[in-house]
Amino acid sequence: MGESEDPRGRFAQRMDDVREYSRIASIAEIARRYFAMNAFDGVLTTIGIVMGNYISGVSDADVAIRIGVATSISMGVSGLWGAYLTEAAERQRDLAELEKISLTNLGQTKIGRASRLAVAVVALVDGLAPFAAALIVLIPLFVAPLIGNILISYVLSLAVALVTLFGLGMFLGHISGRNLVGYGLRTIVAGIVAIALGFLLEP
Amino acid sequence: MGNLRRLVLDVLKPLEPSIVELVQLLADLEGVDGVNISIYEIDRRVENAKVTVEGHDLRYKEIESVIEENGGAIHSIDEVAAGRVLIEDVITPQD
Repeated sequence: MGESEDPRGRFAQRMDDVREYSRIASIAEIARRYFAMNAFDGVLTTIGIVMGNYISGVSDADVAIRIGVATSISMGVSGLWGAYLTEAAERQRDLAELEKISLTNLGQTKIGRASRLAVAVVALVDGLAPFAAALIVLIPLFVAPLIGNILISYVLSLAVALVTLFGLGMFLGHISGRNLVGYGLRTIVAGIVAIALGFLLEP
Repeated sequence: MGNLRRLVLDVLKPLEPSIVELVQLLADLEGVDGVNISIYEIDRRVENAKVTVEGHDLRYKEIESVIEENGGAIHSIDEVAAGRVLIEDVITPQD
């Protein structure tokens, strides 16, 4: 199992290492949870932005896009920073506890490296998931000049949001091994509630 | 120096990486013919393992480094054997 000279062999070795670190630090499981939770947040927040623009009578797609993109960037930065700080604190505490039990310095071992990789992966997933989810919902606003009518763009944005929520629900259903459509419908209900509550603000 | 043929180590290690991975990593080392790891005590986060390594030319430093790289700590070396022939512990009347 030594280091390979061949670049493909080295890559395969790195992938094996990543898989092993993922197993040691349960990275995939935690990243999956963060992904679903934060993408869900991203979609619902963007539903709020779209509803806010619609209710305020914003007819300029550029304004709606700037607000949407600025919010998605903030959500991304918030996710990245928040997850980095909390995950790093939790992992350091966990490693310190294990070091105390085993009376060994684990920082330079596989366990230490797995822990650091977990922090980086979880922070990236937590930042990118809401950012990407928000941008997906904003697609109809990006192509508003092609659509021609801002109201249709808003409706399409909300439709994309609901479809994205349904997809996220199916993803959760897939993880739980349960009914995909059932989970999808449950997440859609959250979107419908957010839209309905948004309408209450209509003057 | 005579070639090291058997090592029995008392190791405290975290539950992950598992002994399945550790045993294979040790077995892949040069000079090793076979490895056995048995757990005799298990805790919430760590386990105590008896690691028995046999071969025709064991390299202690490499074995130690694989164990440490996987988060283990060698608490004691409980048995060693070296030379052309593998000598078992002899039972005497005092035992």
